[in-house]
Amino acid sequence: MPPQAQELLNQLNATLPLEGYLVVGAIMFAIGAWGALIRRNAVVVFMCIELMINAVNLSLVAFADYLPDAGGVGVGYAVLVIAVAAAEVAVGLAIVLAVYRSRKTVNVDEVNLMKG
Amino acid sequence: MIVAFLFLASMTLICALGVVLSRSVVHSALFMSGAFLGVAGFFVMLNAPALAAFQVLIYVGAVTVVILFGIMFTQRPQVRRFSTIINRQTWAGLVATIGVGSFLAYVLSVQNWNYTSPGNGLREVADLGEVLLGLNGAPPIFGLLFEVISILLLVAVIAAIVVSRRKTGEGVDRGAEE
Repeated sequence: MPPQAQELLNQLNATLPLEGYLVVGAIMFAIGAWGALIRRNAVVVFMCIELMINAVNLSLVAFADYLPDAGGVGVGYAVLVIAVAAAEVAVGLAIVLAVYRSRKTVNVDEVNLMKG
Repeated sequence: MIVAFLFLASMTLICALGVVLSRSVVHSALFMSGAFLGVAGFFVMLNAPALAAFQVLIYVGAVTVVILFGIMFTQRPQVRRFSTIINRQTWAGLVATIGVGSFLAYVLSVQNWNYTSPGNGLREVADLGEVLLGLNGAPPIFGLLFEVISILLLVAVIAAIVVSRRKTGEGVDRGAEE
């Protein structure tokens, strides 16, 4: 194998820095926040909130793998976050269905009363 | 490693942008499952294969299906014009979001995390189970958190049933008549 190819292979197999995962998580969080701010459909707002939760989970797992004193506990926190997110989806979509049944819309700009 | 990282990062971020910018709600849901698959790939790279399995089962399977059911109940899947799906705060929201994202990315990459090296994760499922129960050196609060989470899931299931059920005497679903 020529030395250039070996060097390229070593570069491709090098370990990634922690900052790579954190930056991907930050950008994903920002995209989710943008969607939650600008979209009108309540279901899409839920999807964007799920994106933000996943970005935070990615950061937690990256810290758990990279920091030696963390002891891998971040994965446990990630499991708890996944459970809370599942509960939030169930209750949130039930509320969206109830709002749709009484108001016939899921546009978050039009749903401005709690009691309808 | 770098090839896999670039592939997963581009897949995750492009699918996340697709969730925000696609005009059909069903396409948004499918893009969302793509982003979740990308994050599951990251979990495998980060030595958490059990969490990646949870991610695929819960998010790509269950949450996507529940959200698709929500879409089916609340609207006809149709492609709308771009100006009707997005409210008036598009550019202000974009400015705020770019501000938040660049600030987070800058702070996280400038911060000196000393002595970081990959491979400290809990690769074994048994270790993850001990962490979740607060055994063998894990913070003992995890045992309490585990119980609280199970109560929370039970309450959430009951609340979802109570909130979304049709009231007695209400008859057919009014949303289905139109």
